[in-house]
Amino acid sequence: MKSLFKKAGILVLAGAFVLSGCSENGNGSKKQESSPVQNTNFNKTGLPIVNNTVTLRMVSPKAALAPEFSEMEIFKRLEKETNIKIKWENIPDTDYAEKKNLLLASGDLPDAFYAAGFTDYELINYGKDGTIIPLEDLIDQYAPNLKALFERRPDIKSSITAPDGHIYGLPSWEDNNLGTNPFFHVINKSWLDKLGLKVPQTLDEYTEALLAFKTQDPNDNGKQDEIPLSFMHMQWCMDIAGIFGAFGLPDNLEHRVVRDGKVIFTANQPEYKEALKYFHEKWYKQGLIDPESFTQDAAQYLAKGKTTDETLGSYIWWEIDEVVGTERSKDYVLLSPLKGPNGGQTIGRANGGGPGRGAFVITKENKNPEITMRWIDQQYEPYMAAQIHWGPLDVVFEKDESGKLVNLPVPDGISAGEFRQKVAPGSGGPGVITFEDFGKIVDMELRAQQRAKDLEQYYNPYMEKENYPSIFFEPEELDKINKIEPELIKYVNTQRAKFIVDGGVNEQWDNYVKTLEKMGLNDLMEIYQTGLDRYNENLKNK
Amino acid sequence: MYQLLKRKSRGDVWFDIINNILLTLVMLLVLFPLYFVLIASFSDPNYIYSGEVWLFPKGFTLDGYERIFSDSSIWIGYVNSILYATLGTIIGVAVTVFAAYPLARKNLVGKSVIMWFLMITMFFSGGLIPTYLLIKDLHMLNTIWALVIPGAGGVFNVIIVRTFFQSSIPDEMWEAASIDGCSNTRFFWSIVLPLSKSILAVMVLYHVVGFWNGFFDALIYLNDENKYPLQLVLRNILVQNQVNSGMMIDVESYAAKMRVTELIKYGVIIVSSLPLLILYPFLQKYFVKGVMIGSIKG
Repeated sequence: MKSLFKKAGILVLAGAFVLSGCSENGNGSKKQESSPVQNTNFNKTGLPIVNNTVTLRMVSPKAALAPEFSEMEIFKRLEKETNIKIKWENIPDTDYAEKKNLLLASGDLPDAFYAAGFTDYELINYGKDGTIIPLEDLIDQYAPNLKALFERRPDIKSSITAPDGHIYGLPSWEDNNLGTNPFFHVINKSWLDKLGLKVPQTLDEYTEALLAFKTQDPNDNGKQDEIPLSFMHMQWCMDIAGIFGAFGLPDNLEHRVVRDGKVIFTANQPEYKEALKYFHEKWYKQGLIDPESFTQDAAQYLAKGKTTDETLGSYIWWEIDEVVGTERSKDYVLLSPLKGPNGGQTIGRANGGGPGRGAFVITKENKNPEITMRWIDQQYEPYMAAQIHWGPLDVVFEKDESGKLVNLPVPDGISAGEFRQKVAPGSGGPGVITFEDFGKIVDMELRAQQRAKDLEQYYNPYMEKENYPSIFFEPEELDKINKIEPELIKYVNTQRAKFIVDGGVNEQWDNYVKTLEKMGLNDLMEIYQTGLDRYNENLKNK
Repeated sequence: MYQLLKRKSRGDVWFDIINNILLTLVMLLVLFPLYFVLIASFSDPNYIYSGEVWLFPKGFTLDGYERIFSDSSIWIGYVNSILYATLGTIIGVAVTVFAAYPLARKNLVGKSVIMWFLMITMFFSGGLIPTYLLIKDLHMLNTIWALVIPGAGGVFNVIIVRTFFQSSIPDEMWEAASIDGCSNTRFFWSIVLPLSKSILAVMVLYHVVGFWNGFFDALIYLNDENKYPLQLVLRNILVQNQVNSGMMIDVESYAAKMRVTELIKYGVIIVSSLPLLILYPFLQKYFVKGVMIGSIKG
């Protein structure tokens, strides 16, 4: 009796496995349906795109509290112009990746993914198995705006073209150079004045200033509560990576820089070692670094700038205001890259920063790829692209005499960023606003303009010439990178914190470098170098 | 009082004193975080982070609550959650009890086979994608049924309830009733259920809590925001105000958003757990009894 149950159970289980296997195969092997010949309903040029309304199903992420896209003014206008109705399935952006994977894996495909956020990996893999279709022929025939863009900017075309020569996803980009150096280095000028110090030019002067902040009670409250320097270890725009440049080789979050077309891993170079030694000896030992720099999150960090008594001496962030608030921001100034003990003075250039590649993909279930392509191409017209990214005319923008889009005042009680989220798909959406478009077609926001000025004044003269562009890797290369890099970077970052806090760089350095090599550093750098060489080669051939 | 103390030995008194002090400390350890959440929801987040809030709210503000309640989707979420929790609990408890009672009876044919099949589901599940496909093929996507049906009748609950029936409803009772001409159905409704209030209360609580706190199913199966349960709405409010450091240009409102997130974080905890805090005392008296008996194998 018992063994009978056992057998039955095994059978049931086996059956279940077979069934689940089957269903996946069933979906995967479905042949791509050849698109039916378009009838008179479809207009190859001009608007509307179709005479009788056609409905397309699209999946897209959206800011969690933004309205459904169907209620957004910009899409209502598009629908009216094109006669194409979109049945939106909006997913809160934080859950999007999960649900996207579920839809793709279960074969429950919409006609297209909008603001799709496909990774290179997904583009190639789903492109290969036919889940998403190659777009270059459709672009050629039905996408005049995209074609014009590619002719103007061949670099964009080459960077969205997969290694196999196909284009699977359309680009999304705001080409504004604001992120070249995310690490804005800020110091308390009013404290400097009070203590009779000038704005530091060299690293040693800076260290003196920090020491004075710590010991001479510049906020006059009789307590030693001043934090000379606070930052967030290895975080987006809050790390001291830029200061490493004082030793001749700036660091960044990837520990990867490019000089003369050669990829350099920063974290095993002599400059890096010198920097760590300096930071430990001169800063950490003397208590100049906020010990919470290695653990705090952004909320804690931001709270430090807004304590009742001013306590922050120097910090690193995207800009001055947010940490200390607009009131106090006049006490603080930006620091140009400091001159190091050995004469180094340079600031890094952030890696990547090219166009996003996966902003729009069409799936094999789409019976109207031509119509879809014509619809999406509308959004690559520069004015439209700007509206997709920031918000529609008459809501966020108005046109000035020259026809340029300028920002309207934001309604009371809501921040600009939040307001824009509610009226437009935002920066992940399709559409490219090129460098030339800024100032000609659309105005940069005020704060972005300020940032551009600051970059120009404080950082650009010292900036590295090259960066590591955003490169479309082969799947095998990606596999290798994914295998080696996360562990390696984790190890480097832990060690970096340890060296700064506990010291011991000299004694442990050789061991550290050896461990890096054991973890596959050389292979990793080779892949990056190959990728870069290929990229440069492609550009030359264009 | 003196009399009382006198009866105890000196050692006893010390034991009591130390015991009480320790227990008070433990109680404070448990209660303080809850209290902290409450006062933090009324405080300025900058003070919370600089560690200045610990006994009383500092920088008193209602911004967080204002923010939470100004969102109409909260109310929609509340209504949905109550609906899902009620309906889901009714279905879930019914299925559980209807499954457990026959399994508790000795004269059910093939009892062990059924149990065996049920047990398998405790250890193996189809996985996310097949389950999603099933729900899709049943046309339950984007409907309330996707939330309340698939989870109804958890095997673990069935076992607890079955054990409860086995241990607290003696067979003799059924024999006596059947001699008097009682049918199975009548016996179940008129005798078994009234005698099982405590386990029913426990099941209700389990299910209500489960449905109230659940958001994953809703996240996967629902597309329509008007159907979102409260937890998903609150989660969206929270993540919407979470700052995404990937957005290079949209940093403008970074700090403002950060502040709102911190503000509403604690408020959201209060808002979402309030209904359960209210419900719990009413079911609490059944709780210990029901679970104890149910979990002891008969």
